[in-house]
Amino acid sequence: MTGKEWVALLKNWQVAMLVILLVLSVVFIYPHGEDGKFTTNLQYGLDLSDGTWLQMEFQAVVAGFETDRPVVDFLSDLQKDLDAEIYRIDDQKIEIRKYFTRDELESAFAESGGRLTTYEQGVSRETAEQVKVILEEKLNALGTRDAKVNPLIGLSGVSTYVRVELAGVGLAQAQEIVGKQGRFEIRIQTAGNETEHVLYGDAINTVGVPTQEPPGSNRWGVSFTLTEQGAVQFRDAAILYGATTDPARHYLNMILDGNVVYSAPLSPDLAAKLRVEPIRELVASTGAGQEGLDAAKNLEIHLRAGALPVEVKVAGSGYVPAALSDYFKTMAIVAFVVATIAVGIVVFLRYREPSIVLPMIGVNLSEIVILLGVASLIQQQLDLAAIAGLIAVLGTGIDQLVIITDEVLHEGKVPSPNIYQKRLTRAIGIIMISAVTVIIAMLPLALMSLSTLRGFAIITILGVVIGVLVTRPAYGKIIMAILSK
Amino acid sequence: MGFITYDVNRYTPKQMMVIPLIVLILSLAVLGYNMATTGTLLTPGMDFSGGTAVTLFTADSPDMLRETFSGYPLISVDGGINDGKYLKFGPMDDASFQSLAELITERYPDAKIDQIGASFGKTLQGQASIALLLSFIGMAIVVFVAFRALVPAGAVVFCALTDIIMTAAVMTLVGIELSLPTTAALLMLIGYSVDSDILLTMRVLKRQGRLSEKLSGAFRTGIIMTTTTLAAIAAMWVVAAVGQITVIRDIASVLIIGLLLDMMNTWLMNAGIIKWYMQKGGAK
Repeated sequence: MTGKEWVALLKNWQVAMLVILLVLSVVFIYPHGEDGKFTTNLQYGLDLSDGTWLQMEFQAVVAGFETDRPVVDFLSDLQKDLDAEIYRIDDQKIEIRKYFTRDELESAFAESGGRLTTYEQGVSRETAEQVKVILEEKLNALGTRDAKVNPLIGLSGVSTYVRVELAGVGLAQAQEIVGKQGRFEIRIQTAGNETEHVLYGDAINTVGVPTQEPPGSNRWGVSFTLTEQGAVQFRDAAILYGATTDPARHYLNMILDGNVVYSAPLSPDLAAKLRVEPIRELVASTGAGQEGLDAAKNLEIHLRAGALPVEVKVAGSGYVPAALSDYFKTMAIVAFVVATIAVGIVVFLRYREPSIVLPMIGVNLSEIVILLGVASLIQQQLDLAAIAGLIAVLGTGIDQLVIITDEVLHEGKVPSPNIYQKRLTRAIGIIMISAVTVIIAMLPLALMSLSTLRGFAIITILGVVIGVLVTRPAYGKIIMAILSK
Repeated sequence: MGFITYDVNRYTPKQMMVIPLIVLILSLAVLGYNMATTGTLLTPGMDFSGGTAVTLFTADSPDMLRETFSGYPLISVDGGINDGKYLKFGPMDDASFQSLAELITERYPDAKIDQIGASFGKTLQGQASIALLLSFIGMAIVVFVAFRALVPAGAVVFCALTDIIMTAAVMTLVGIELSLPTTAALLMLIGYSVDSDILLTMRVLKRQGRLSEKLSGAFRTGIIMTTTTLAAIAAMWVVAAVGQITVIRDIASVLIIGLLLDMMNTWLMNAGIIKWYMQKGGAK
């Protein structure tokens, strides 16, 4: 083609758009070298980058209620009966921060003079957001490269699961930090094996970093200060149970999620001080050596960020090591290249005309490049499922280019511009219908919060939209310009 | 393409539709049998039934691995080329999983672990079924709106449905489980399946000319469409099978099965219905 014809072709808006989008996409993908390694702006999700995922189930229930009694009375009776914290979402709904089956709740509601109207395991949107904030704080303290916390909120506004993805963190550590509620409690020994509750982690004001207690001893601990009220509570309990007068027989227990992290008699020194005034500075010793240090670090994180409002249970989890994620990435690229070559061979066998086959493959590949550009712009993560989506786009893309080619080249001759335009419009009509069906078919998956196949659906929908709006019509123009020679 | 010798115009609509209908009945029988014996249409994979999957690369033999993990509910060990091993464990409690994870991390630090709790699996399965159902209904609505004629639109939707039913039956026969990736593949299949059906219907309904010409034209285009897609997916299957990427291998397997069946359904069943419809004077 001459330069003039190229210019004329570029004046078509779809062709121009194709070129502009291609250039923009390359800019967004930004392939560049970093520390001597080739890298891009593409974001990789799990499987293609190393790290851990945890999906946790809230051990709580959102329930609808009806009662003829004053709501406050009903709720306070219910709270006593269930022995669980109750958060009132609105006039008809409450969040019970402990897990109960529907049957259990139905009878408890009836006993308190009400009726259970709806039942859904999970927490309210507000609580889910609160969990997100707390978890993010804990993860920041862990110093991960990249952490994502997503409460999965259903259409009813109830969140049953929260999904956490952590780059470069092992499964065991992730479960320690994220898979636990982080509820800290101090209990004091009263008599024999009996202990009595003193205070929870919310009575803690500031938290220190893990230090050696005493310094240079290789025994680790975390110091923390109580709030004024907490300190009074602590002193009152110590005096009430006689710990201040007989410290050796009154163990001080510090408990994290039901596990005792520290248990030792109240020190005589502390007991003497407590007799005089409330003490705000306390230390939780966690043990010696590396194990003690790790435990101290975990305790520090939980003390700082505080407990989650509800208990969580790990519903699913996974870990991908760096070696394997790199391998997956390589294989995904190999699969992609081999697939493209296979498509090229089949299309060539059918048309035996490089001037048709090359633009076809070219447009098909540019669709993928633009799709990757959009993906890196909207920060859509690529995981193995999204790669499957890319391949789906490659497949439907080539299908539709074949439809356009055959429609336009009907009877093997290149038609006059007028007829050509008509045929192109008709071809686009066909691909529009199949595009809309694909989009509609993928929509439920893209909107469903729970599914890990979301990336797949989003990539497929994006690809189809880019395809029918820009690249495939542009292909129609390009093939016309080339063939009318 | 030289190697395809089928002529869409040679047979009567009835003759065309006999084979797919027989296959459909057989497929329903397979699924019905599976339903009766196992209680599910398709065997749910680990994603849905709960369990732990481990991918690792080691020269240790499957027997050695069975020995190593004898304390855990190990279900199967699949081996591949370049020492890739794929281990499946049944559901276990949190404490066992913790200790399993520690054992794996200690022995095979480069192992990929995925664990799904049984109840979470059930929720996933529920969502996946809803997604499939909604997708199918959405697709059907689009097709009916696009063609606004009962028989041609019905034929497209029926064909997509038979594609899915037959693919599901073959999956049962060859032992491919229903998992998140294979659900994705079935959804993709809805898209691929209607592609060639829509082409066929559009060509026959909206173009001028003799029916036989339109049919064979659509067939030529349709076959090249499906074969290119098949070529791409077959290539993917080979790479994924050799490289032990189970997610992509499973998706590719289902798509290959589905596309092959789709060729039959489109060019025997759908073409048969539309031919009968046109011959009855259905087109205005």
